[in-house]
Amino acid sequence: MSENIVVLVGANAEVLDASTAELLTLAGQLGRPVAVVAGEATEALVAELGRHGAAEVHLVSCPQLSDSLVLAKAALLADRAVDAHAKVILVASGLEGNEVAGLVAAKLSAGLITDAVTARFEAAELVADKVVWAGKYTVTAKVLTEMAVLTVKPNSCVPVIAEVEAEVRQARFDFEPGAPAARVVSAEPTAATKRPKLVEANVVVSGGRGTDGDFAPVEALADALGGAVGGSRAAVDAGYVPQTLQVGQTGKSVSPDLYVALGISGAIQHIAGMRTARRILAVNSDPEAPIHRLADLSVVGDLKTIVPAVVARLG
Amino acid sequence: MRIIALVKYVPDSGDEVGFEPDLSLGRVGPSSRLSELDEYAVEQALRLRTELAGATLTVLSVGPAEAESALRKALQMGADDAVLVTDEAIAGSDVFGTATVLSAAIRSLEGGLVVAGMSSTDAGLGVVPALLADSLSWPLLSQAAAVSVEAGLAKIARVDETGSRVVEAALPAVVSVTDQSGEPRYPSFKDVLAAKKKSVATLTLADLGVDASAAGAGSARVEVLAVSRNADRAAGRVIVDVDGSSVDEIIDFLAAATK
Amino acid sequence: MKVLLFVIAVAVSIAAVALFVRGALTLYRLIGAGQSSPGRLGPVGKRLGNMVTEILSHRRFRARPLVKAAHWVVMVSFILLVPTLAIAYAQVLDPYAELPVIGGWPVWQWLLEIFSVGGLVAIVVLFTVRLRHPSDPEDASAARDWRSRFFGSTRWQGYFVEAVIAAVLVCVLVMHVLTSAVLARYPETAEAGSWVHYPLTSWVGQLFWSLPPVALETGIVVAATLKILVSMVWLGVVGYATTMSVAWHRFLGVLNVYARRETDGTPALGAAAPMYVDGKAFDIRDLDDLDEDATFGVGKIEEFGWKSLLDFASCTECGRCQDLCPAWNTGKPLSPKLFTLALRDQAAGMEHSLDIFAALKSAGAAGELAAPVRDADLVGGVISPDVLWSCTTCGACVDQCPVDIEHVDHIIDLRRHEVMVKSEFPEEFNGLFGNLETKGNPWGLPPRDRMDWAKGLDFDVPVLGTDVTSADEVDHVLWVGCAGAYDEKGKKTTRAVAELLHLAGVKFAVLGQAETCCGDSARRAGNEATYQGLATENIETFASYGVEKVVVTCAHCLNSIGREYGQLGADYRVEHHTQVLNRLIRDGRLNVVAPPEDERRQLTYHDPCYLGRHNGEYDAPRELLASLPEAELVEMEHSGSSSMCCGGGGARMWTEESIGTRINSARLDEAEATGASTVATACPFCAIMLGDAAASRDQAPAVTDVAHLVLAGVKRGLPNPTDESETES
Repeated sequence: MSENIVVLVGANAEVLDASTAELLTLAGQLGRPVAVVAGEATEALVAELGRHGAAEVHLVSCPQLSDSLVLAKAALLADRAVDAHAKVILVASGLEGNEVAGLVAAKLSAGLITDAVTARFEAAELVADKVVWAGKYTVTAKVLTEMAVLTVKPNSCVPVIAEVEAEVRQARFDFEPGAPAARVVSAEPTAATKRPKLVEANVVVSGGRGTDGDFAPVEALADALGGAVGGSRAAVDAGYVPQTLQVGQTGKSVSPDLYVALGISGAIQHIAGMRTARRILAVNSDPEAPIHRLADLSVVGDLKTIVPAVVARLG
Repeated sequence: MRIIALVKYVPDSGDEVGFEPDLSLGRVGPSSRLSELDEYAVEQALRLRTELAGATLTVLSVGPAEAESALRKALQMGADDAVLVTDEAIAGSDVFGTATVLSAAIRSLEGGLVVAGMSSTDAGLGVVPALLADSLSWPLLSQAAAVSVEAGLAKIARVDETGSRVVEAALPAVVSVTDQSGEPRYPSFKDVLAAKKKSVATLTLADLGVDASAAGAGSARVEVLAVSRNADRAAGRVIVDVDGSSVDEIIDFLAAATK
Repeated sequence: MKVLLFVIAVAVSIAAVALFVRGALTLYRLIGAGQSSPGRLGPVGKRLGNMVTEILSHRRFRARPLVKAAHWVVMVSFILLVPTLAIAYAQVLDPYAELPVIGGWPVWQWLLEIFSVGGLVAIVVLFTVRLRHPSDPEDASAARDWRSRFFGSTRWQGYFVEAVIAAVLVCVLVMHVLTSAVLARYPETAEAGSWVHYPLTSWVGQLFWSLPPVALETGIVVAATLKILVSMVWLGVVGYATTMSVAWHRFLGVLNVYARRETDGTPALGAAAPMYVDGKAFDIRDLDDLDEDATFGVGKIEEFGWKSLLDFASCTECGRCQDLCPAWNTGKPLSPKLFTLALRDQAAGMEHSLDIFAALKSAGAAGELAAPVRDADLVGGVISPDVLWSCTTCGACVDQCPVDIEHVDHIIDLRRHEVMVKSEFPEEFNGLFGNLETKGNPWGLPPRDRMDWAKGLDFDVPVLGTDVTSADEVDHVLWVGCAGAYDEKGKKTTRAVAELLHLAGVKFAVLGQAETCCGDSARRAGNEATYQGLATENIETFASYGVEKVVVTCAHCLNSIGREYGQLGADYRVEHHTQVLNRLIRDGRLNVVAPPEDERRQLTYHDPCYLGRHNGEYDAPRELLASLPEAELVEMEHSGSSSMCCGGGGARMWTEESIGTRINSARLDEAEATGASTVATACPFCAIMLGDAAASRDQAPAVTDVAHLVLAGVKRGLPNPTDESETES
């Protein structure tokens, strides 16, 4: 009999987000996916969970959820995991996800692996891989405890559709902190359209003088990739972007997973602010531009035609 | 009140790192240092110390003897004193073991407010502050972009994937701060000299009354099986676009890079 | 009546001298309140000789030959007239009185005549010069009158001092005219009143022969009295106003020249002055000797050494420094003159003159305090922090100053206090300092990448410690430097120099990863501790490989290793690549060949401040350019010792430049104005700064290092010329 694998459904409980779909797919590979929704859920969401393989969906209402930072969510998840006799609990990686996972593991005396990229059972023991040290090493670790808690990096697998009629269970969870707890006194959800902050973004798309002042392609690509917009000093000097968006020695230092340099020559002053990016894509019409020596993929060509074509393909 | 800032000694992000025989990440690299993210914790702790009358700031680290240099840096920034918990039995601890040792140290130091960084730059978990709060039975105010303390009440602004929230809790509490909380100060040379006179106390598990089995590799709930070096970043490819010929390759690259 | 006049003259004189003595004592006390300025009093003989020759030759007067000549004549006439003032008292009583011994000696009288007339002409010239540079800072609040070097100088004081000189000279000449007239009309004394004794005034004297002798005698007495009164009013006013340094420079300027930093007569450029802590030069290796309360740099006025305070008190307000300051000329609040005057007034505890106050205000240079407050923080209180951080340490002010004021050292002393005590500095320095301390280069790039520049060369570059054990085994050690190792343009320059050395058959080696930053930027940012940390690390590296001389491609490395490491007990001979390449060409070891079409192309050369002004090398790069058959050198408006900075010195390379226009852009404007297609330079900082400016324009001259042009020329003569694109930048 396959083990129950509990999946914490992402925070936005109206539509299924990509990382939850991936968690369900991974859970399906490991055992029987049990989706736990903390708080409200629409029927559409429940259907989507089933479509991605959730055998059970626990809809858990919890009045204290919004007042509590992470404790209530962690306690709720632990409660459901116990209820489901879960073998593994999967949570999406992130600031909050890692905290929730840690607290659940503490509560259940379970082993914890954060930021995993793959997971599998080897002789009934959960083994996961994670990538460390700027992508240089892969560490393979095994969970020694009965129960395992994992946080999984986004984009770690391709979600598959596995039509399942999810068994829906309603539950109510009352969170009673055993100790003094923090209280949320006000909350303001992030506006959906807002671009991430430059220094926090996982993707940064920057434009330079090669844009000739037209930042539309830069912004379009940034939005298509969910990234932030930046600019080189030359672009700032020319007034294309405000100084607050300058990337470089005398501007902001960024180290996103992906950095896209459009029409940026790659002067050392710029490179000093973005060289720690994990992957770099450059488009510049000048084959001699130093940026081509740094980028993982360099395209010598006209960004004004290439970028719109790429944006169109990204949909 | 004693504020305790937690700091970690880590290899510099530019260093080549090694792995210990137990496959844990080596902490002593050619330019190991105070974790950059923990500098933000020290900075916020310093600001809070200035605001809170009678407060003192102790920096606390768990690690090898070399970790004293990370504590020294924090002392230069202005911390009053430093404590290093170092014990062979700690080596190989997972986050739970680390939290156990830290909470014992914080209790023995009678800390009233703990300030930690958002995560370490080497392991990057971001879990320890939560486990610590759990272990101490203190409220957790994590991932703060701003912190203030007034009349025994700590208040933070937390900005994350879901939006921004203001969260508060009565002291004692565990706070973790992000790299958006305010640039760490550059210690003046006067401060550097003054720090030479400050002491770094060393404690062992026995000093803290922690059983050696509660920490270290033996207590870990996870065992590292293997470490493999990934292929070095391939030298960049340069392609010349002719009428959009590069678009396919760009799409593939973007798909791989955003994984 | 004579007696009455005499009594008045003496009474006024006593009061004036008393005021003057009081002023002089005040200044002595103020200047003496400074910290020690080690080594500024001796060796006496050398300093005296220097002082006399410098003042008599006026050799520190740069350009402006008319002003220089006029000032020299006025100075000499002032010296000559002092004894005549003494005899004027006697002349009030006896119009025929003359100086004992030399009074009737024609040589003396000719000198007096020539310099009195000459002095009068000269002072009119100087007065006219001042008038032709109108400056009214109060009017200019909306649009600062940048052009005038007198902007912010206290106008009434300048005019007053010049008017006094003119009035005294007029009195002297009137006395001469009347004396020659009263003497020449009597046969017994005709010779004494003739052109033999009064060569220039006796002709005018003839006009007064008709007047009765009593009238002439009375005229002499009145003129003598006026001469005394005018002189004494001057003395009294000057004594009262101790900040009237346009007048005090006659005395203090002389002392300042005596106590100048360099006893070889060169300006206080090159090395920055050591940081003195309790009178001892700071050395990071002797930290244990430091006093617990030691302070670093200068935060308050009395923390300056006395020589610095003497500097401030000596300023003539001539504004030559301001005239060439790249910060001032691009709309920043720093004028070396206003900076000096603000500190002078703070030292004296006197309010600024209206002109200075208005100028400081309109330039955004004023501190928060409207009037001097004892123990005020200089940065923030007396001057705005923007003044301090606008300086590129280019040294134009120091080079220009005729009384040897050491502006750059003062700026660095203030920066040291801001950084090392207060930890207040432009936020970009956070990254700079961290990068220097943890990575040993300003960009924070990995030390292991230091040899990337050598990849792809068709010969091996030996590295000391791995391929070569000691520097004795090679002709040259090439110091690559941070820009030479990391910046794309800098790397190409390093490659070009390496290729040229290789082609010339020179054996050379490099230090590879053992190099760390020379520390120039840290030192000029005021971070002496970080500078010395880097410098001592390099000194140890040099020692371990027996390195005693190096070749550099960066003017900043040239200066710090060659000029500054000496302060830490090292002694290296450092050559700039343009010097070495120039020698190789002269010796025929490198041959430059013209391009096939041999079209002359116009080049202009930008003098790096730390190669030119700070280290006196203007010729080697120009000779190299002259050796290129196709090149025609055209100079910019500012070149050589009056060259304008690229904007990257003084650690300004690492900060934003948000006030006024960009210096690099202004400098590129000058280069463009020559019509040259290429701007050659000889420092990677200049190449980066000017290259940045060029990159932001649609059309701009190419910016390149001299070495690339030489390499292109040399490669043309090789049997199998390699791809030329490699040598372009």
